[in-house]
Amino acid sequence: MVVTATPALGRRRAYRDVWIIIPVYNEAPVIGGVVTEVLRTFPNVVCVDDGSSDGSAERIAATRAHLLRHPVNLGQGAALETGLRYALAQPGAERFVTFDADGQHRVDDVLAMLDLAGQRSADVVLGSRFLGPEGEVPWQKRIVLRTAAAVSPTARRLKLSDAHNGLRLFNRKAASRLHITMNGMAHASEITGFLARSGLRVAEAPVTIRYTDYSRTKGQSLMNGVNILFDLSFTNKKG
Amino acid sequence: MLIQFLLLAAVAVLIFVFVRHWNTARTRAWKRLAFLAFCVANAYAVLRPGDTTKVAHWVGVGRGTDLVLYLLVVGVTMLALNTYLRFRVMERRLTELARDTALRTAQRPDPERPLAAVEGDRTP
Repeated sequence: MVVTATPALGRRRAYRDVWIIIPVYNEAPVIGGVVTEVLRTFPNVVCVDDGSSDGSAERIAATRAHLLRHPVNLGQGAALETGLRYALAQPGAERFVTFDADGQHRVDDVLAMLDLAGQRSADVVLGSRFLGPEGEVPWQKRIVLRTAAAVSPTARRLKLSDAHNGLRLFNRKAASRLHITMNGMAHASEITGFLARSGLRVAEAPVTIRYTDYSRTKGQSLMNGVNILFDLSFTNKKG
Repeated sequence: MLIQFLLLAAVAVLIFVFVRHWNTARTRAWKRLAFLAFCVANAYAVLRPGDTTKVAHWVGVGRGTDLVLYLLVVGVTMLALNTYLRFRVMERRLTELARDTALRTAQRPDPERPLAAVEGDRTP
């Protein structure tokens, strides 16, 4: 792989206020490549290793990303929250992007989301797999995700077409008000719920997901939806 | 039947108490009193087994054994709920602890390190 230094550097300087947050759990085969690709455009990347046992942390340590390590596995929601807290404390950090570790997200989509946030002066931009061409999304997945978006009251209120996309952009105002308490996968619904109540300006941007064989084996299963519903039903009732 | 009312009321009270204020000092005191009452009732039922049937008849249950079984179900439900909620609190504490450790031991990148990918990584 050849890294062309000059244009990348200029670009990187323009995005110094952007922090890319990548929750990582057992992604050693791809994480180094994913992080390196992101770093070509964005200088600030923080990876939260969520107690991986496959050497993901060592792969990250070999890149120019910041590395946080959960001593035990807590879940993707917890890793996102940790990464956001860290990024919020960094000087000059203004924009925060959550990005998946398995290589399914594209840096170009992040750039488009940053542009969109500027144009529409949105506080939050959520990636949607269904605004652009849908050909890439496997049909079983399309049905599950469409149903999830349709039955979720908050996703309806925000008129979201995709409530479970890992690619999200927050400005400082939104990121500092967001507190993810759902450690597992229910954090996606928790985030849309927060956004619906918050009064923040939310926009959706079309993103293309690279469904590689690798990411396919790692995707959320249908049964995980049951876990998400169960977690959420207890969310607002803590004493 | 009286037993139906009692059991349904027990379930409603349990849900309310545990979900709302399950870990206040007052609830803890009630839990201890309930445990004490359970022990006393146990000893009594062992000493005078015929009386459980009498009590069962008062509340509209055929046999003392059935009454004990029903109460056991309520007890087990309480235990399960209590354990579940306790685990959630533990999980929250563990999360805070792990997050604190992660933030304290953050590894900042070495600015001298080249940007290129690590050998052996496959681009997704």
